[in-house]
Amino acid sequence: MVRSFRCRAIGSLFLFWINGDLTMLTLANIDVVYDGVIQVLRSTNIEVRQGQMVVLLGANGAGKTTTLKAISALLHADQGAVTAGRITFEDRDITHADPTTIVKSGIVQVLEGRKVLEHLSVLQNLMVGAHLRKDRAGVREDLEKVYHYFPALPNLLHRTAGYLSGGEMQMVLIGRALMAQPKLLILDEPSMGLAPNLSQQLFRTIEQIKREEGLTVLLVEQNARSAIAQCDYGYIMEGGRIVLHGSRNELTSNQDVQEFYLGTSNAADRTSYRDVKHYRRRKRWLG
Amino acid sequence: MINLLQALIDGALVGLVYGLVAISFVVIYRGSKIINLAQGEVLVIGAFLLWTFTEGARNVGIDIPLPIALVLTLIACVIFGAVIERTVFRPLIGQSAFTIFMAGIALLILLRGLAQLIWGAQTRSAPAILPEGAIDLGPFLINTGLLIGAIFTIVLAQALHLFFTRARLGLRLAAVAENHTTALSLGISVRQAIAVSWITATVLAATAAVVLLSGSILSLEVAVIGFKALPIALLGGLESIRGALLAGLIIGIAEALASMYLDPITSGAASGLLPYVVMIGVLFIRPYGLFGWRRIERL
Repeated sequence: MVRSFRCRAIGSLFLFWINGDLTMLTLANIDVVYDGVIQVLRSTNIEVRQGQMVVLLGANGAGKTTTLKAISALLHADQGAVTAGRITFEDRDITHADPTTIVKSGIVQVLEGRKVLEHLSVLQNLMVGAHLRKDRAGVREDLEKVYHYFPALPNLLHRTAGYLSGGEMQMVLIGRALMAQPKLLILDEPSMGLAPNLSQQLFRTIEQIKREEGLTVLLVEQNARSAIAQCDYGYIMEGGRIVLHGSRNELTSNQDVQEFYLGTSNAADRTSYRDVKHYRRRKRWLG
Repeated sequence: MINLLQALIDGALVGLVYGLVAISFVVIYRGSKIINLAQGEVLVIGAFLLWTFTEGARNVGIDIPLPIALVLTLIACVIFGAVIERTVFRPLIGQSAFTIFMAGIALLILLRGLAQLIWGAQTRSAPAILPEGAIDLGPFLINTGLLIGAIFTIVLAQALHLFFTRARLGLRLAAVAENHTTALSLGISVRQAIAVSWITATVLAATAAVVLLSGSILSLEVAVIGFKALPIALLGGLESIRGALLAGLIIGIAEALASMYLDPITSGAASGLLPYVVMIGVLFIRPYGLFGWRRIERL
């Protein structure tokens, strides 16, 4: 009891401290439980500010995808649920909203694993993204915008999406998300399985979209180097908690991040196994 | 020769109208990945509903004009489809295919019993909605009702195809047909889409019943149409609207040929068997049908 009270008290203190007027999305002390028994997120706090690119890093199974699904209300399909805490988007509580409300309010997620609608054409895929919109002119305008960011797409419009290459699929997916007029774009491992130069190009395009559209981006990535290089702010997850967070400069100068995520430490000086730092947190986070 | 052509024309027309029933299988399958075994019973109940609003009402002294009776039937079918989805199949979302298969059989028996309970087992004459008689086309005689039904089916299939590929609601349904999780991530209400699919399919089945039974006999036995349309849906591919149409044409013509050349030798059994032989053949050689969605495997 005492401990959970302390968690919550510190959590709200944390919120008080971090809440600027530009806050767009806040996750406050979120717990997520799957199947009623498996707790995956423990009191997770994340804050995304307007116009930022926020990156969420962490090992496999740390709870990154779960965090994203909690935001976009997709946990239900995996028998998961938010059991504690509050998610607010633009000052509205969306903790228990349904996916349609989430998309309508401006949060659009691109799921991991390149989930194009395989048997539909590229154009149909893009149009499905705009299914909640009634402004035909706006939809046409946004279609042009998508072609502007992904100049390869206009030549693929009538191809079956399932037969595209990985890079092309990723363009379709981000294009489809843009068609929904997002304010917050959530990307789950967009570079997965892409060749290094393709993934670099993808990051550049995401950065360009973010800049030109004033879009806010929340990104989960395994490719820590590119992700940190692009982000404004980063969170690092371990075992369902945020263990570290900070701006790009704070993260890149942090020794642990250098060691575990960037692989750039004084490895050359090591002469014995004793010098190798084991995978251990430097400081425990509000345990 | 003229006999042959005549048989081919008849077969093609009947096959097309059966295609309409097959389309109702397809619409349900796309939405909810369920093959509704009770679709034949749904169709019969649709026909009974129309009978109730025409002959049945007349028997108790209420004369409902035909257009209004048709609208009433339509509304009743919408409710009927929504009730089936809501009470039987929605609670089973996420259950194994076997559970859903058993639920389908249970529904089939339930609906058959229910229809017998409400309307009795006697045979009736189905309301003649379409004009009877035949058109003289040179040496051929073409059944007017079937001709109208076939043309109606083609127009409806084309309209549905456009709906699924262009309209906003149709694209939603197409996304749900592809993958429920992806559809959810795009803000599509999967439940709503499945409900819309069931309602559409029920209306389609009832429409097919009206066309097929117009002016002929209406009884519980007519439900066998459902099982005759299933091979058509499989041959066309369970996701393809226009595939169902083409498959209807193929099976209709094949059946006509079989009844002409094989039935005399097999004392009339061949034409009835043929669709199922085709069905087993399709499942062996091309399980996804002519135009169905083949799972795209990427290396």
